[in-house]
Amino acid sequence: MTTHHAAATAVTGKAPGLAPGEPAITVRNLAKSYRSEGRGVVNALAPTSFTVADGEFVCLVGPSGCGKSTLLKILAGILKPSSGEYRIHRQGGAVADCQIGLVFQSPVLLPWRTVLENTMLPADALELDRDAMKLRAMQLLDMVGLKGFEKSYPSELSGGMQQRCSITRALLHDPPILLMDEPFGALDAMTRDVMNAELQRIRLESGKTIFLITHSISEAVFLADRILVMSARPGRIIEEVIPNLPDRGSLDVMASPQFGTAVHRIRKLLGIDVRDRPNVD
Amino acid sequence: MSIEQNTAPADLAAEPDGAPVRRRDYRWLLSLGTLVALLAILEGAIRGFEVPSYIFPAPSEIFRSIYTGFAAPLSSKSAYYTHILTTVSEALGSFVCGSVLGIALGGLIAEFPLLRRLALPYVIGLQSVPKVALAPLFVVWFGLGISSKIVLGILLTFFPLMVNTLAGFASVEKDRLELMKSLKASPWKTFRYVKLPSALPFIFAGLEMAAAYSVLGAVVGEFVGGNSGLGVLMLNRNASLDIAGSMAALVLLALLGITLQKLVTMARNRLLFWAPSKDVLRNVEAQPD
Repeated sequence: MTTHHAAATAVTGKAPGLAPGEPAITVRNLAKSYRSEGRGVVNALAPTSFTVADGEFVCLVGPSGCGKSTLLKILAGILKPSSGEYRIHRQGGAVADCQIGLVFQSPVLLPWRTVLENTMLPADALELDRDAMKLRAMQLLDMVGLKGFEKSYPSELSGGMQQRCSITRALLHDPPILLMDEPFGALDAMTRDVMNAELQRIRLESGKTIFLITHSISEAVFLADRILVMSARPGRIIEEVIPNLPDRGSLDVMASPQFGTAVHRIRKLLGIDVRDRPNVD
Repeated sequence: MSIEQNTAPADLAAEPDGAPVRRRDYRWLLSLGTLVALLAILEGAIRGFEVPSYIFPAPSEIFRSIYTGFAAPLSSKSAYYTHILTTVSEALGSFVCGSVLGIALGGLIAEFPLLRRLALPYVIGLQSVPKVALAPLFVVWFGLGISSKIVLGILLTFFPLMVNTLAGFASVEKDRLELMKSLKASPWKTFRYVKLPSALPFIFAGLEMAAAYSVLGAVVGEFVGGNSGLGVLMLNRNASLDIAGSMAALVLLALLGITLQKLVTMARNRLLFWAPSKDVLRNVEAQPD
């Protein structure tokens, strides 16, 4: 608890920019447990440690209930950890005090706001300059292919378009770190492929540090520089896999031998096999 | 990219749930025709069976009574204007005060857990008291003027609004709150940008109930004791067996209630174009034929 508070000051304090080689996210022995009626103390997250380098794209894969989402919510400042510490290192160049952009599995758009107004939500929450942010919002919407839909309401968009809008919202205040909790989990396979390619492009253009949780092994291998594999409850990181794909600019890389090897390796680690019990969804 | 955009127009064409659809609607003509036909049948039956007007007056007599009430000079005792003004002020006063109080207390109770623990048991206890039964007491305490009716009306309108506001704030989606938390939004910003708009559909459902209750409060208050108002007019005419006059007042009361409710509905449709209605009857009405 005390260590967490120390970490919190590091986030809000006006520390100078990131030293070279210093990780963007440091997680040390971070754990979360809570009391549940009838079940006693539930360990939502076993002590976990890892780092994410500046500009790195890290995916976390693991079975349901291993504490992936809990971990992400702690990093996003939504939940407080029970023990351990984490640091979101302050970086230069960020528009706002908020260092992270968060993308949920569902778009979580506000139905009374237009696409543009939804994208502008961080500007309202963080009291940023509205004119400058509006310009940026228009650029972001253009970038994700929502140009012309600025005045539409979320109910008028398809699921994939809504999720794109939620990504522009996460990017508006130019956070150095993007946290994504199964952002494409609710989309159909085809839209998902398109969105993956899109995210890869955004990432290569912006150089943001991305920490993404997913159920999809192939999604993780396609997107990530490094994949953290988590075991079932109580969740802990059992191994990290580095896919080393030849070229990640296109979806064709999914046909490469490196891709297959990495997918196979993660599947083995998670214990998914035809002969094994399918304890992973 | 292009795959998505090609499907977009189709998505747009489908009308979003709850969005206002501007289309010429002539269904009201059908409703009006039905009303005229029913009144004609009633008129014919009452004349045919020679029902005495002190039992059930014919529609034409009721309309004549309404007309004389409006045609009478302002100072005349049988003129409607002062009565209407009294009842409208009572209903509006209690609607506005009761709603403001209900929304404010509902919001406070929702936002402050300590207050919830302190106040909620009493609120729930009070709600099960039949509030119209307090009308005689209020007349004793607040007199025969409009204040006793407004107090009764406030009591009636307050509860649906407080309960609905409370429910509205309690049902804000968790993800929305977490989103605001991740953006380091202050409690006030979270309230203003997320909680209040999320609770509005519930608050409006409460306002629609309150619109009906405020007229009820005014009339019951006038029945128990008052100098003027449509309820007083009804009682007086009932006493002199002027049933047509009594029903005329009833028609005016119904019109008042309908108008108040329509105003709330219009405000709702303007503000809550994005939300599907929580009103069961309106959803039935909105069903495709």
